[in-house]
Amino acid sequence: MEGGIVEGGQAEQQTQPVERLNQAVQQQLNLESVKTRAISLFKAVSRILDEFDAIARANSLPKWQDVLSQFSMVNLELYNIVEDIKKVSKAFVVHPKNVNAQNATILPVMLSSKLLPEMEMDDNAKREQLLHGMHNLQLLSQIDKLKTRIDMIGAACESAEKVIADTRKAYFGTRQGPSLLPTLDKVQAAKIQEQESLLRSAVNQGEGLRIPGEQRQITSALPMHLVDVLNVGESSQTFSDGSGMYTKNNPTFSSNNITSQGNLIQASGSQLIGRTAASPGATGSTSFDNTTSPLPYANSPRSGANILNTPSPQQPSQLQQQQQRQKMMQLPQHQQQLLAQQQFRQSSVPGIGQANLLYYIKLFYPTPNQLVQLHDLQGQAQQKFQSMHSQHQMQFSQPLGSQQFQSRQLPSGSIQHGLGQSQLNQGNQLNRHLNQFSSPANSALFNAAQSTPNTQMISNMSGMMPSQSLLPRMQQYGLSSGSRSLASQNLSDQMFNLGATNPGSMMPLQQQQQQQQHVSQGTFGNMAANAQNMQPGIVPLQNTQQNHPNYQQQRQQNQ
Amino acid sequence: MECVVQGIIETQHVEALEILLQGLCGVHRKSLKIHELCLKSGPNLGTSPSEVRLLCDLEQSEPAWRVRHVGGAMRGAGAEQISVNVRTMVESKVSNNVLRLFYALGYKLDHEQLRVGFSFNFQRGAQMTVTVSSVNKMLRLHATDEAVPITPGIQLVEVTAPATSENYSKVAAAMSSFCEYLAPLLHLSKPGVSTGVVPTAAAAAASLMSDGGGTTL
Repeated sequence: MEGGIVEGGQAEQQTQPVERLNQAVQQQLNLESVKTRAISLFKAVSRILDEFDAIARANSLPKWQDVLSQFSMVNLELYNIVEDIKKVSKAFVVHPKNVNAQNATILPVMLSSKLLPEMEMDDNAKREQLLHGMHNLQLLSQIDKLKTRIDMIGAACESAEKVIADTRKAYFGTRQGPSLLPTLDKVQAAKIQEQESLLRSAVNQGEGLRIPGEQRQITSALPMHLVDVLNVGESSQTFSDGSGMYTKNNPTFSSNNITSQGNLIQASGSQLIGRTAASPGATGSTSFDNTTSPLPYANSPRSGANILNTPSPQQPSQLQQQQQRQKMMQLPQHQQQLLAQQQFRQSSVPGIGQANLLYYIKLFYPTPNQLVQLHDLQGQAQQKFQSMHSQHQMQFSQPLGSQQFQSRQLPSGSIQHGLGQSQLNQGNQLNRHLNQFSSPANSALFNAAQSTPNTQMISNMSGMMPSQSLLPRMQQYGLSSGSRSLASQNLSDQMFNLGATNPGSMMPLQQQQQQQQHVSQGTFGNMAANAQNMQPGIVPLQNTQQNHPNYQQQRQQNQ
Repeated sequence: MECVVQGIIETQHVEALEILLQGLCGVHRKSLKIHELCLKSGPNLGTSPSEVRLLCDLEQSEPAWRVRHVGGAMRGAGAEQISVNVRTMVESKVSNNVLRLFYALGYKLDHEQLRVGFSFNFQRGAQMTVTVSSVNKMLRLHATDEAVPITPGIQLVEVTAPATSENYSKVAAAMSSFCEYLAPLLHLSKPGVSTGVVPTAAAAAASLMSDGGGTTL
């Protein structure tokens, strides 16, 4: 059915006078016509639905042409109706918008205009209150009175707000003083500006808060909330410069080839070492405090009186002696190199280190007696190493004579690495030396030493040892291992090799313990010339030698 | 999503600000001491580095950890008309091994700071939190006991309010109107925009301290 049957809406109006729609709206709305059209539309739709029903029952294909045409007709009719309604929809508010299953039942109630009883009573009460005293007047006057009342209240609110705002301004304004607003001093303003930019950039971007790599090390005890969360080893992971090592339990081995050595050779041992090595850092204290006094070793059979005596004098004298000896002995080239570069990086150390080294070199071409004496040096070296650890290694120059040096380091070395004393007492003083001087390097070498035959051990150990005690140690080890057949030359070669690698390997642990980190880097370079991997264990050491140039950097990064 | 503004105030006026905030907010102040670790992702986690902040609340007896990711601020013409920064923010409570987790994922510590101060959490048109804190840096890694302020004379004031993409303009408006109440003491602006100090701060602080403080114990 197409549109436009217009009927007068008035015929359909209610006869009751109340609440009639506006005449114009009514005409426009054409309620009657809309109703008719809606009904016809409804009939058409139901007819179509019946047809579909029949088709479905008959299971026959519908004729789409017909169906579509009917659909289009229905659609058009609906559209027209809606359009007409829209014209007058502004006068109405429709709620609910749709009639569906949910609100179909409630609609009649909603359409009812009678209030609920309570609401009605409420309404009446309020109306009574409002129109109190105005019942007798006419409607219009009542309306007027109410309007004036509303206006008065509105005016009162506005004036109140104004007063509050004025008072607030005045309150702050008068406090400033009679004159203009105080201006900040230019200089002061600039300072504040600078501080402000500092603060804002720090908060928002973190400028000025980044600690450079080498300082990123947990030096003191961790605060409570981080103690359980962080291990010391994990601190290495915190550095953004890509050097993070995820060796949680082997922090000391993280960047060292030797660590792989140690791990390969004795995985458990290295683990142990790693942990124990870490613990000093974690607790913030050195474990070396637990070491027994090195003094007992001073009189031990190993620490022969001969050796102890000569190094004990002041360093300069030692140095002189050793230098003389050095020249006299005409050491092979590599040895000389070793000596030349056996200078401790720390300023306080060089004297002693060199002295020790030279001393050891002197002993390198020893008589059997002297060889025995090397054992003492070992102990001394251990002591020295211990003192290094506990005193951040800068204290070689401290009253440690080589005697003390030797005797002390034996126990400390063992303790450092958490290895039982029994391990040390394997008769490999070399091992002990390893433990003493560079915990990571030593431990690795130590492991190597333990598992490899004597000669290998010797070379390994010497590699592990710091440059200082390198030579004597090697000799000792060589002696102790019984491979006396080794020519001194071989021994020296081994020593040099090991010594070269030693510095590097030592580094990780030392770093971990925040100790001297540049120890015997010089020797490292020297050793390179002599790098001879005599034993399988040494092979990795050689690699460390090669890494030497970068080693220091690596260490730095690891921190 | 959150709306945020920042401002600075001189340390000498912080007490006055606290009094003002106490009056405006109607809630009690909450002390805060937060160790904030900012982690940046390593190269193995994507082409562009992402940043994550771990906040450890040290005020309680048990440290409470939260993780927080802050995204970029809204941009565009509409954003410029709003006086606050609207940015994405995701925050969650986590257990105390979150640091290990992130390290294991490949995040590295970029920087850390310690914030000590107080905060007010209240409702005024929108749920807002005002934080006044001194931002401290640690000279050594994780040494929170030895933290020193980055700028001893200036503290940071931050007002944040959570928002959604639908109501952020309303929240921003509420925040702006609140910030107007703080105008005598400090100016608040988008993070990154410098404000300087307010010249009336001293006088306002004096008045707050003298009258308001006069009735205190």
